[in-house]
Amino acid sequence: MPKRKRETWGTKLGIIMAVAGSAVGLGNFLRFPVQATQNGGGAFMIPYFIALVLLGIPLMWVEWAIGRYGGVFGHGTAPGAFNRLWNSRLAKYFGVIGIFGPLVIFIYYTYIESWILGYAFFSLTGQLFAAVDTNSMLSFLRGYQGLVQNQFFSGIYASYTFFVITFLMNIWILYHGIKGGIEKLCNIAMPTLFVFGLIVMIRVLTLGAPDSLHPNWNVINGLGFLWNPNFEVLKNAKVWLAAAGQIFFTLSVGIGVIITYASYLTKADDVVLSGLTAVGMNEFAEVIIGGSIAIPIAFAFYGPSGIVDVARGGAFNLGFVTMPLVFEKLFLGGLFAFLWFALLFLAGITSSVSLAQPAVSFVSDEFNIDPKKAVIIFGIISFILCQPVIFFLGNGVLDELDFWGGTFALVLFALIETILFAWVFGINNAWEEIHLGAHIRVPKIFKFIIKYVTPAYLLFILGFWLYQEWIPLILMTGVPDQNRPYIIGTRIALIVLLAVVAFLVGLAWKLKGKEAK
Amino acid sequence: MNIRGLVFLLVSWAIIIGITAYCFWQIFRAKKV
Repeated sequence: MPKRKRETWGTKLGIIMAVAGSAVGLGNFLRFPVQATQNGGGAFMIPYFIALVLLGIPLMWVEWAIGRYGGVFGHGTAPGAFNRLWNSRLAKYFGVIGIFGPLVIFIYYTYIESWILGYAFFSLTGQLFAAVDTNSMLSFLRGYQGLVQNQFFSGIYASYTFFVITFLMNIWILYHGIKGGIEKLCNIAMPTLFVFGLIVMIRVLTLGAPDSLHPNWNVINGLGFLWNPNFEVLKNAKVWLAAAGQIFFTLSVGIGVIITYASYLTKADDVVLSGLTAVGMNEFAEVIIGGSIAIPIAFAFYGPSGIVDVARGGAFNLGFVTMPLVFEKLFLGGLFAFLWFALLFLAGITSSVSLAQPAVSFVSDEFNIDPKKAVIIFGIISFILCQPVIFFLGNGVLDELDFWGGTFALVLFALIETILFAWVFGINNAWEEIHLGAHIRVPKIFKFIIKYVTPAYLLFILGFWLYQEWIPLILMTGVPDQNRPYIIGTRIALIVLLAVVAFLVGLAWKLKGKEAK
Repeated sequence: MNIRGLVFLLVSWAIIIGITAYCFWQIFRAKKV
């Protein structure tokens, strides 16, 4: 069968918007302010920017370059690209994580994304504001998730309906392809997201002190809570790890999605400037917009002692419990709550389509199947895989998937791709590959950083996390007895899924080998 | 917000706005949008 012609991006701005869309997600607006607050405020930005330069930007260039290199040979995912970097039968199996990881994240991310759509809807209808304090807002969330039946929800129906709508939106966008689906979405969604973000940010920054009894509870002091530096924390290795982790998650590096997106470039397309622009857009959304909304406004309404509890409650509570309560108290609060959840939803959907694309590209490229058919196959399988996350949410399935797919796989995959690119393919070839068609030159120091510093940094993160946090997680320390069967079941399912992806990779090469003969 | 907090905020914002603006300027200058 003749090899199918692969799509390409319509414009340079299109792929930049798509990669930025993939990177800008919920973490920019919720995870970053909480991490900064918990890790030294302004002082957190020192390890944050160091990690950006030593880890984030180099990995961004590495993934763009690997992706474009693989795409030239008709491969849109890591197995094919790695196989071209390293002429070994084993190479393609190292790329399995680049399909498995994003698929696992997609399975739970789409469900969380659907909650945001639901909350945007309930903000407009005013239903969200039936909950008036922290406990009732928590109960609203738990009722919506189907964990309990209460005065707000009698079952999981509303949540499931929004999930189906969100899921179908994702599939519809993927069905229309790279140029007609993803690029079109990101070209509209990203500017809209920034406009919504700036509107909410301006509203927050002009709030002053909303409670006249507490003039010190104001937005400026809220910004101070996030930005006043505490240099003492820099002696703590955990803060440096938290900063590196945040850079990792925020830029969507180590997942495999950038490799897939860049595979739709042509050989002469620039990757250096495009990659850096996507980083810049992501950082703008995270540090400037994300850092100026949630924590400052929560401080203005909850004060210095209340905000400590809010920050301790984590990113999730900040988004789904604290923020709706805060918006309730604003004039036109429903509208601002809608804008907040709408921007989170746009951030979510531009990320979720990117998480789905590696699996779609793999089926389409390596089995020579029409991309539309590949989307339908992906849709059916992933819809089934989403069900345990929805129905066993209270049993820790989502957290388990997040650990293996959204944390462990990321660091491991980043380490593998950096070693393959800088050491096996060779740093001189890698340097040349990065600069093909480049609009700007990368400073020479990055040759050293990519070869030595980035892999060493990744090894350090992997080792330290394993020692400090992962061993208790792997051993299920603190997991309630009733949840253990679900966690073990999820782990078995993940092993099976990884084995199936590895089998399909092997099968694809076997079939291609036969065809070549 | 103390003065050091303000400095950290302004420097961080300046770095990010600077990088982003430089990138877009280069892209539009190359007229390869």
